[in-house]
Amino acid sequence: MIASDIRQGLRTGMLLAIVVVFLFLIGATSTLADILAGALKLGRAVSLQTVLALLALWLGSQAAKVSIEEKRPRWINTLLRAAVAGLSAGLVIGLTTLVFLRLHESGINLRTYLYQLSPDSLDLWSLGRSAQGAAVFHFLLPLVGCLLGAVLARGFREAPWRSATGRRVGALRESITRPLATAARTRWGRILLYAALGAVLILLPLRLNNYWNFTLGTVGIYVLMGLGLNIVVGLAGLLDLGYVVFFAVGSYTIGLLTAPTPHHLMWDFWIVLPIAIFLAAIIGVLLGIPVLRLRGDYLAIVTLGFGEIIRVLLKAEALSSFSNGPRGIPSIGQPAFFGLPFNSSADFMYMIIFSVLLVIFLTNRLQNSRVGRAWIAIREDETVARAMGINTLTSKLLAFGIGAAFAGLGGVLFASRSQFTGPDDFNLMVSINVLAVVIVGGMGSIPGVIAGAFVLKGLPEVLRELDAYRILSFGALLVAMMVLRPEGLIPSTRRRLEMQQARAAVSPPATPVSPPGPGGTA
Amino acid sequence: MPESAAPARIRKRITPYQIAQIVIGLGFLAFVAWRLYEVLVVEHTYGPDTWLKFAISGLIVGSVYALITIGYTLVYAILRMINFAHSEVFMVGAFAGFFVFEALKSLPVGTGGHPFIEVYPIPSIILGFAAGIVTSMVTGVALERIAYRPLRGAPRLVPLISAVGASIFLQNAAQLMFGPQRRTFVNLPALDRNLGWTLTVGGKPVLITYTGVFTFILAIVLLVSLYLIVQRTRLGRAMRAVSENKQTAALMGIDVDSVISQTFAISGVLAGAAGVMWGIHYGQIHAYVGFIPGIKAFTAAVLGGIGNIPGAMLGAMTLGLIESLGPGGLGMDFQLKDVIAFSILVLVLIFRPSGILGEVLSEEKL
Repeated sequence: MIASDIRQGLRTGMLLAIVVVFLFLIGATSTLADILAGALKLGRAVSLQTVLALLALWLGSQAAKVSIEEKRPRWINTLLRAAVAGLSAGLVIGLTTLVFLRLHESGINLRTYLYQLSPDSLDLWSLGRSAQGAAVFHFLLPLVGCLLGAVLARGFREAPWRSATGRRVGALRESITRPLATAARTRWGRILLYAALGAVLILLPLRLNNYWNFTLGTVGIYVLMGLGLNIVVGLAGLLDLGYVVFFAVGSYTIGLLTAPTPHHLMWDFWIVLPIAIFLAAIIGVLLGIPVLRLRGDYLAIVTLGFGEIIRVLLKAEALSSFSNGPRGIPSIGQPAFFGLPFNSSADFMYMIIFSVLLVIFLTNRLQNSRVGRAWIAIREDETVARAMGINTLTSKLLAFGIGAAFAGLGGVLFASRSQFTGPDDFNLMVSINVLAVVIVGGMGSIPGVIAGAFVLKGLPEVLRELDAYRILSFGALLVAMMVLRPEGLIPSTRRRLEMQQARAAVSPPATPVSPPGPGGTA
Repeated sequence: MPESAAPARIRKRITPYQIAQIVIGLGFLAFVAWRLYEVLVVEHTYGPDTWLKFAISGLIVGSVYALITIGYTLVYAILRMINFAHSEVFMVGAFAGFFVFEALKSLPVGTGGHPFIEVYPIPSIILGFAAGIVTSMVTGVALERIAYRPLRGAPRLVPLISAVGASIFLQNAAQLMFGPQRRTFVNLPALDRNLGWTLTVGGKPVLITYTGVFTFILAIVLLVSLYLIVQRTRLGRAMRAVSENKQTAALMGIDVDSVISQTFAISGVLAGAAGVMWGIHYGQIHAYVGFIPGIKAFTAAVLGGIGNIPGAMLGAMTLGLIESLGPGGLGMDFQLKDVIAFSILVLVLIFRPSGILGEVLSEEKL
């Protein structure tokens, strides 16, 4: 019992130490302290201590967490676990502090090697103390924090009023959501809901300033592309890591045909729009023909290769007479509406909203159609689908083509809105972002994709202070999503059931004597 | 009679896929033949010394790719997943080597106060490689524990996305910690990257750098020892058993989790060594240094037949040679070498999806 307490405490402590040292090394502790200092009008040093203390408290409560096998651990176990966690974390953090501050005091510029350790952030970390003093402080803080956190968490868990409050909150939430859900199910309720949504969508672009129209427009473009990729990945089950190709085709078509350089064509936006979409679809089908025979992983890597090829080709000086090479295409044409210019952020917002609605409508019709059901059948089991008389190659090509067309539309809007496009707009991150939108939102689910685009492209804009850590947390979010909620934020019903089944199949056997690995119980 | 004739007719029908294959194949062959004729017969763009230089750099880059490729192939063979974050395992190793070499450069030794790296050149190299290898190994194992193990048995897309996330996370963590600038690797006293043996070919000198030879030989040694580990040791046998069938392997008394961890550790060792080699030979590293070699190595794994170790080595060497000889041979811009590498991948997958040495996987194995 004691041994397991120590082990668990050590594990928690190491986790805290790694998190704190990592945040320190990437400079996030200073940033968090600054944000807190700004929000609460505190001194920076106090804010830093608060951030660290909160982390320690949280880890302490984790250390006190009652594991399933022990029903009622004694207080001494809880405290021992928290103490071990605090001690080990404190030792690591304190020693790190000592080493870095000593090096700093001896006049070495740590910034040459560790970019975020500026003298300013080191001074903040030392809290105005000497190296030894700061080390002792950073040793004591996790220890006290963990112990306090454990006591608080334990006390809170055993408090008599806790379950009653939980019930009351639940009842309150129910009393609000239940009538709304019922109302939304009636005919008039639904009409009212759609009317309200329509009014919001019409009024919103007018009320927002340029910045927000631009940001939400980007979210909208990602919704478009997400819905397109959703057909390829979510419905047909074809993993495409080179979706950016079709986005690039759309952008470059509008660029090359409407911009003064390099070809001086300057066609009208509305003529090029259908051409670009059609071209993207054709390219989708053409790329699809040779590769759609491939199995999942191979398909992923070939499409990834296509994505890289298109970027390198667009960037190549050798082709710059055609594509303007690395300089990109400036002053791309923008739409006009019966002679009136139609090119403010709000106008583009309307266009994006309209396109998104159109694409939602199309996707919705498609996924319940014969083709849509064929796609799902292919995703589930290709051999069986073929045995049922589905022409798998045609269906897959159709999925690729339609998905590509949506991306082409997204590319047109993107390039025309910013009046510029260049090879660097089309790196692998675009494909990954769109894929993440689909996966985080929920594969095969339209509301999921919309939610995913808002979370992944909209939320980072709101948290501008944390801009430096945006992509970092994006990566961490992807991993966390996959581990904690692989079916996505708003999963389609089918997907949710599948995931639950999969999880039930891999859950560990109940008794330790049964053989390891996924058993035959599934 | 009609019953027996029908299947034969079906088999003879040419599918659209085959038409696409034929068109693409003939087009590609015609293009290559035309460019080769232009470059070799009409223009004589390069002399034999330049071709030799291309080939040597191809072999060196191929040997680095081979070490990374093994990581992809081993993990694929066992888990049937693309370890997308493997390129970051490589990058982390390169950085660990970089920091150790920097520290040894500024560490004075003895009475003269000469830096450690000049007084003990060989131990310095060993220390640098040890740091890279250990860091990469730990990263690889931690990656598996945090990002992949909880997802075992989930649909195939799920671990792939998790791997992509881990890769983005590691790249950006490295960029935040170590800064966005490129870092110049220490030019080791024992292995100066500007020095080497000089051959004379066609009256012109061809420099074979010490670092290049060192990289090539060390890579071959590591690859051979890996092959021996997989073929001859108990762990290797366990790995092969797990790659055949996890359940059965577990019933035979193999600790599947531990074998998977050790596979990630071995992949990490090779990637870490490759990272330090990359730094020593090419001299520059940055947070995104792993990306292109990572994709190339995966391409090589597919080229050789994924899951197949000799195939991975062969694929990596082939890819290295193609991408260094290709732009010259086809008379194209050297920026386009990545395009050539990926076109090769696409062509291989169209005509021989199982790769050069790969077996045809049955559906059950997926």
